[in-house]
Amino acid sequence: MSEPLDIVILGGGTAGWMAATALVSLIPPARCRVRLIESEEIGIVGVGEATFPEIRNFNDAVGIDEAEMMRATRAAFKLGIQFVDWGFKGSRYIHPFGVHGPVGMDHIFHHRWLRARSLGSKRDIQDYSFAAQAARDSRFDLPETRSTTLDSAYTYAYHFDAGLYAVYLRDLAERRGVVRSEGKVRDVVQDPETGNIRSLLLESGETISGDLFIDCSGFRSLLLGKTLGVEWEDWSKWLPCDRAFAVPSERDELSPYTRSTAMEAGWRWRIPLQHRTGNGYVFSTNFIDEDEAAASLMRSLETKALAEPRMLKFQAGRRVLNWEKNCIAIGLAGGFLEPLESTSIYLIQVAIMQLVPLLPDKVVDPRLRNEFNRLIDLQYERIRDFLILHYKLTRRDDAEIWRYSAAMDVPESLTRKIELFRHSAIIERYRDGLFPPTSWLSVFIGQGLIPESYSPLADTIPGESLISHLDAFHADVLDRVEEMRRHDRFIDLYCGAERSAAPMATEMRL
Amino acid sequence: MTRRIQQVVVVGADAPAWMAAAALLRSVSGAGIRVRVIELPTLLQPVDAYSALPELAGFHHRIGLDEDLLFSLCKAVPVAGRRFSNWSGAAPPFIHGYDRAPPPAAGLGFTQLWIKGRQRGLRTDFENFSLASVAAKAGRIPVAAAGADLHAAFGYNLDAGAYSALLRRCTMRGGVESKAATIADVEIEGDRIIAVKLNDGERVEADLFVDASGPRAALIGRMPGADVESWREWLPCDRLLVASARGLKPLPAFSQISAFRQGWIGLFPLQDRTAVVAAYDSRETSDEALLEDLPALANMPIGGDAIASGLSQGIRRRAWVGNCVAIGETAFSLEPLDGTQLHIVHYCISQLMTLFPVEAGTFPEAQLYDRIIHRLAVNLRDFQLTHYTLNRRFDMPFWDGCRDAPAPATLQRKLDVFTARGRVPLYDDETFQEQDWESLFIGHGLMPQSYDPRVDAIPEQEHIAQVQARLNDIVGLVEAMPPVDDFIAGVNPQQAAAAKPVG
Repeated sequence: MSEPLDIVILGGGTAGWMAATALVSLIPPARCRVRLIESEEIGIVGVGEATFPEIRNFNDAVGIDEAEMMRATRAAFKLGIQFVDWGFKGSRYIHPFGVHGPVGMDHIFHHRWLRARSLGSKRDIQDYSFAAQAARDSRFDLPETRSTTLDSAYTYAYHFDAGLYAVYLRDLAERRGVVRSEGKVRDVVQDPETGNIRSLLLESGETISGDLFIDCSGFRSLLLGKTLGVEWEDWSKWLPCDRAFAVPSERDELSPYTRSTAMEAGWRWRIPLQHRTGNGYVFSTNFIDEDEAAASLMRSLETKALAEPRMLKFQAGRRVLNWEKNCIAIGLAGGFLEPLESTSIYLIQVAIMQLVPLLPDKVVDPRLRNEFNRLIDLQYERIRDFLILHYKLTRRDDAEIWRYSAAMDVPESLTRKIELFRHSAIIERYRDGLFPPTSWLSVFIGQGLIPESYSPLADTIPGESLISHLDAFHADVLDRVEEMRRHDRFIDLYCGAERSAAPMATEMRL
Repeated sequence: MTRRIQQVVVVGADAPAWMAAAALLRSVSGAGIRVRVIELPTLLQPVDAYSALPELAGFHHRIGLDEDLLFSLCKAVPVAGRRFSNWSGAAPPFIHGYDRAPPPAAGLGFTQLWIKGRQRGLRTDFENFSLASVAAKAGRIPVAAAGADLHAAFGYNLDAGAYSALLRRCTMRGGVESKAATIADVEIEGDRIIAVKLNDGERVEADLFVDASGPRAALIGRMPGADVESWREWLPCDRLLVASARGLKPLPAFSQISAFRQGWIGLFPLQDRTAVVAAYDSRETSDEALLEDLPALANMPIGGDAIASGLSQGIRRRAWVGNCVAIGETAFSLEPLDGTQLHIVHYCISQLMTLFPVEAGTFPEAQLYDRIIHRLAVNLRDFQLTHYTLNRRFDMPFWDGCRDAPAPATLQRKLDVFTARGRVPLYDDETFQEQDWESLFIGHGLMPQSYDPRVDAIPEQEHIAQVQARLNDIVGLVEAMPPVDDFIAGVNPQQAAAAKPVG
């Protein structure tokens, strides 16, 4: 066998340590050696304290024990995202991690629900979402995965401290053989003929060379953007937010959902963790100035601030190629989409999990690179459209950002989805990409886009039995939610940070 | 609410028309929608057979058709795959088996383990790790025991006339109105069909017209923007010859597809005979010359009439225009190389049901239907094209031309990524999955140059053990499967005789 591939990861935030952990855990040392360079002087952005359920696949693949990870990162469970004031002021809905209606019925359920409405039923579609109802009542239990009962009608993600997650992964990665170097990059050395990156020269004078470079340097995109000059594609005309203030506050109610509240120039997040609540205001300087945004965030806190607000600058968009020559950008170095749907860590994960099976040899095979870029493009574009949807469907006219959003032209791929749903309640499916039809449904309906009609296939059962079926299902959901444990209690038992890791099987049955 | 669709008329003949009617009956007639069929003259020859993929079972289930009837009334033979011979010089034949999932292994896909094994001297051919291929070779049919989860399935060879008649009978009993007629004229305003005028003077109005008339394109062919884009630059066969030969004893568990100098010939076993189909390029040979060669190509005597007809492969730019929806071969047409004919019909129908128009006056659903059908068509075309692109029949102008023609970008990407890493990029609306493409690529001699690096994390002994375990598993599973003849004999003829209505 040939010499192992030398992989150099630049940057040690969430992206860097997730990449390092995955590579060292999944690929044997005979095939690759992983080095990571980070500087303690450079702060990490620590994107996304809220995650998407796919994170569990990543953790499982690299062999992370859930309860241990949750203790270490002060994590809590997440069953969805609550959107407040998005459709109009006073509106609220949950985008749940799970289907509406019974398992296996999602192709027809919302048509039946629309028909029931036309017959006079007043129930919201969320009344039929197990995840949404459990979230609303702050309940949690682990779902079943291999059944078609209600207990498999939902899935979950985490709220965690992304800084602690990176620390947890660093410990794991180093124990598994990743070599970490402290320092800042002074210069990047390229092959004069191919333009490939050969080595990084650190300020200490040390040279670190490699075959493959993974750029996790964050917004600076030191390798892919600065060195290789891969262009940035700007999406800010659709997603105008360009700043965020983040501030932790004291812990309050441990609700198992992220809350996103639409504000006068953007939106505000609330992420409950075991030891604190994460808060932030994502806004656009086109519509508010920084000081005012910071003040607005501080005024909105429900518990005492634990620090001064910290500001981040960004722009929505992505590098036109996330893999160029022998360099792959993962995380913010490759693109940025605001954390409205908690997709930052997902985008890191998907890049890593696509890279691993396509990992090149010492000379990059362009066929592998092209396939990686194709898959990443699909992910970015589909998430982009889904985020824009939240803005486009607003019916608020009390602030400039909302008037702008409602009037803006959106990508054709999104326009046609909105129009088809409006007319026929049809939701297009796709193979690669994050959001299933049930996610689209929750945002369409939640933001007040009620279709003009529904499929005639929903007309085949008599109206009375339709309504009694729906009522019975709703009652089942409420009964089952009632049987679940309180989320904070579940956390204490399962992964409470103050508790020992003692087995808890007996306690779990309480 | 706006005005609902109240009347749907299906125009066409044979299985496609009755499949559409059966599905409509099942899905929307309960909503008070009237479904009628204008039955055009059949396009079938007595010797015609349908060769269908396992996915047809799902359609039968949806319309409530008892599959025993296929074996008692339609001369059906179950097949576990297709065997391809003479496509690659001196290379032995291979079987594309109907596996439902890629062989499991270490979370990586067994193919990746096989690629590494092969590089290290493993001599067992890829198809021996396919449950369906091994079953096919052994003459056995993958039937799951009750409650068991078998990763393989069987497709069907059916007498086309009998299958169409069965569907017709069941659909009629379910309450669909039908009338045999030919079309004298179609009244069109803009992009709407107002009415269809029949040869007897009757004028049939409807809110929605389903065109299942096959290559005739009796309705869609008159609609604006629905012209056909030809695929001949990639798929050169433009003639089709159908014939019949004696039945095989014992029945094989696969259909046989062999390449010859100017095209390919397929042998599709039925209970009482073998359906023979040849596709070829008229620039290379004539119908007469081919007919003369047929017994030699089939390697058996040909009985009765052989009928040649034109074959034009391509896709309509729009498959749904206004209130007219084309399904199956009317939407796009491919030679019967990989058993996709009925699959295309039921995929179109199932999309039409999902996108069933909510309003009689306006049809925004059409755009999405067109996009989906286009993707389906391109994926299927690419699959069939792979046989031509990867052929290794050198020094024959027909085959050299096929090999030299640049593949469409969608297929080239699959070939590239598979060659580089043994992975298959899959797109939206793929009929054939990873295991099908892998079987085809490797069967035609395309060998991946590298494998997923995670495979090297598996210790060598464990790797060998997994490969061996897979072989043993397959042997055990196949031994428990019934031979074709036993399977057919197991169908109870009395129970089957009473055709039940659907709906």
